[in-house]
Amino acid sequence: MTAAVAAARKGIGTRLAHGILLLAFVGLLLFVTRRVPEVHGGLWTITAIGFLLLAGTLTSELIEPLGLPHLTGYLIAGIASGPHVLRLVDEQTVKSLSPVNMLALSLIALAGGAELDLATIRKGTKSLVWATIVQCVLVLALMSGLFFAAKPLIPFTRSLGPGALLGVALLWGALAVTRSPSATLGILSQTRAEGPLANFTLAFVMASDVAVVVLVATAMAIARPLIDPAATFTFDAFVTLGHSLFGSVALGTTLGLFIATYLKLVNRQMLVVLLILGFGASTVLDYLQFDALLTFMVAGFIVRNMSNQGHKFLSYIGQTGTVVYVVFFATAGADLDVPLLRGLWPVALILAGARSLVTWGGSLVSTRLANDPPVLRRWSWSGLVSQAGLALGLSTIVAREFPGIGTPFRALAVATVAVNEMLGPVLFKLALDRAGETRRREAVSLASIRPPPP
Amino acid sequence: MNSILLLMGLLVLAYLGSFLVAGRGVPGVGLPSGIEYVALGFVIGPQALDLVGTDILASFEPVVYVALGWLAFAVGLDFGFSGDKRVSTASLVLGTLSALTTGAAVAAAAWFAMVRLHVAATPTDRILLAGGVGAACSETTRHAVRWVVDRHIADGPLAERLDEVAHTDDFFPLLAVAALFALEPTRHVIVRMPLRDWPAITIGLGLLLGGGAALLVRSELRLDDTWGVLFGVTLIAIGTSARLGLSTLTATFFVGIAVSLLSRHRRELRAMVSPTERPVLLPALLLAGARIDLHMSPALAWIAAAAIGARLASKVVVGWMLAVSSRSARSAGPFVGLSLLSSGGLAVCIGLVFALRFPGFVGDTVLTIAVLAATVGEFIGPARLRRALRAAGEIREPGDGRATAGGVAA
Repeated sequence: MTAAVAAARKGIGTRLAHGILLLAFVGLLLFVTRRVPEVHGGLWTITAIGFLLLAGTLTSELIEPLGLPHLTGYLIAGIASGPHVLRLVDEQTVKSLSPVNMLALSLIALAGGAELDLATIRKGTKSLVWATIVQCVLVLALMSGLFFAAKPLIPFTRSLGPGALLGVALLWGALAVTRSPSATLGILSQTRAEGPLANFTLAFVMASDVAVVVLVATAMAIARPLIDPAATFTFDAFVTLGHSLFGSVALGTTLGLFIATYLKLVNRQMLVVLLILGFGASTVLDYLQFDALLTFMVAGFIVRNMSNQGHKFLSYIGQTGTVVYVVFFATAGADLDVPLLRGLWPVALILAGARSLVTWGGSLVSTRLANDPPVLRRWSWSGLVSQAGLALGLSTIVAREFPGIGTPFRALAVATVAVNEMLGPVLFKLALDRAGETRRREAVSLASIRPPPP
Repeated sequence: MNSILLLMGLLVLAYLGSFLVAGRGVPGVGLPSGIEYVALGFVIGPQALDLVGTDILASFEPVVYVALGWLAFAVGLDFGFSGDKRVSTASLVLGTLSALTTGAAVAAAAWFAMVRLHVAATPTDRILLAGGVGAACSETTRHAVRWVVDRHIADGPLAERLDEVAHTDDFFPLLAVAALFALEPTRHVIVRMPLRDWPAITIGLGLLLGGGAALLVRSELRLDDTWGVLFGVTLIAIGTSARLGLSTLTATFFVGIAVSLLSRHRRELRAMVSPTERPVLLPALLLAGARIDLHMSPALAWIAAAAIGARLASKVVVGWMLAVSSRSARSAGPFVGLSLLSSGGLAVCIGLVFALRFPGFVGDTVLTIAVLAATVGEFIGPARLRRALRAAGEIREPGDGRATAGGVAA
């Protein structure tokens, strides 16, 4: 039985059973966490992964009839079990999940690269170029302007002079350009969507990773003397950035060639190999300070387009599917600072809403300039609303580089990203449904598994 | 060696292990007990080359718990089945009796050795140590018969019976571990209840979580969702049982049994899980080897000798039981029971879980004796099995038209 048929057959009874089971698991963990103190150190991290996996999977099943994407379910499960609501997963545990998150991100990036088909990208080059230019320029300019104008609403900017405020606004604008490759891939993985909207969004979001990194570095170089009059404009950041980008592409290419060769010559136990590569390469990348997302994306792209092993590779990557996304997004949910969001939600909502509007306007302009088909003119903006790890990572860098405004800036960024993180996947899933691109490919169901030969 | 290097090493080992999935990838390659990986662990561990220090081993404890839990889950999922065939009731009874006889004999021998040697330990520690050694020495590794059958292309009722017994003798030792863990509940557990209730809670927890998993898997989840459910439930079982001071092995074993009994997808789930068993086992064996301390007590050698001697004697008795119930076993000679002497994965896992739960004299002794018993079993078990199968006419000689495939390492 295919997954689509199975999903259709899932009645209210099944979902009720899932809901009861979820409550039972929550009850068990509540009892254990409240009555028995933790003495095993890292062992509760393992339990947390297990619970997030299960709760994420069940919550996503429960919200499916509402038309909401699974990612939203994972996020809800993470928020609910996180340190600010049920406290089944505490802050320390969330922190200790970072290696697992890194592994998940590397697999997501590999999948993203491997989904990028060079022929499809070539066909849509005009759309991609126009979209990249318009979205970058428009979002950067308008969001910087809005941030500048919203000074009375943002407490930490009130004491800044016009120059410093302009610098901070520029940083905010650059941050607003970031998208979420993981959310895009998560939605595409769940819906198995195929079509112009899916192809465009995937290619744009993955390519924009490079554009955003360059843009943020540029914004930081310009903003530095504006925020701190003692500082001067320097090209040092660009040297570091160039080193990082070049190194990431080189390492990604090498990794991609290795994977392609392995698939051709050995083609066994790819999941264990991916684990080894994920952990090993992440450690090396961390040491070299290369961009992990870019490196793994390039590796996936090379396997897909520079060898004939792409489909094999995609099938292996697909097997890690839900587990990777649940862990990644449920952890993101658990990491969400709910009290902070509670305090900053009006400003965050205004900034997130404005960003969505600007993105929508930008897509109207770019699709017209590129003469895109109607489906892109109508929906291409929807996949560009999500923000997640990349934006948070860049906000951390900004906070570190500009200690004067760092903490409140990051807090506002976290709150705004939280809104986009919740809203973006819903919009993208809705658009894919409306564009008729979902469920064209069937997922592998349990019933299709055959026992290995004796 | 830092923890990242060790992690990479373990992953590489898991990769190699995946090629040695018994009976398939490379048939009959590797020893049935996997004891060579324990030896490798010992060599790189603090007692030999000290490439892996005590602190790194401690930091890997959660990983070890996960590996042990997953293996016990796989054993539970496979319990009562040999391949896709359900084992006969006679084999189930015989397997349980075999484990009970061996475990009791070994535990008694270890107890008397401690008494005779005047080992300075509390009565509870003595019970834990004797019981732990008994539990760890009572099983026969499920891969042993398959290993010999693959190498010698054996086929017949004795091979089948021994295979089934090896598949059904895991119940008693894992139950014993739950009971032993209850003797010393962790001091931080606020919930107070009689000792006899703790094993029941362990089993209940496993069955409840397994039942939940079976219910979830029933609804035709996507394959990757199914992995999520299985991983999720197993990890929750591991974490909650460890936090409550219960036996993680027993809890996850019963998760596996419940899933196997209650899910209509048992075959498919086994097909998913069984290939993961070897890749998870080998790193666990390596880490177990690294924890072995042969110099921890002067009494160790004597306790080990008594336990292993009792194990040999009890397996002979098990052979007589086997002979009563099976004609082909009678034709294999009076020492057919020694064919079941190979222990390995589960035995070392039980030893390791004791070492984690009762660090020091008790845990380390149980682990070391489990490894020594597996090593002795490795030298005797496969050779006796080959001899028994040949005597029963289930291995054809080269002249009979089917050639034997090489010698046995033992």
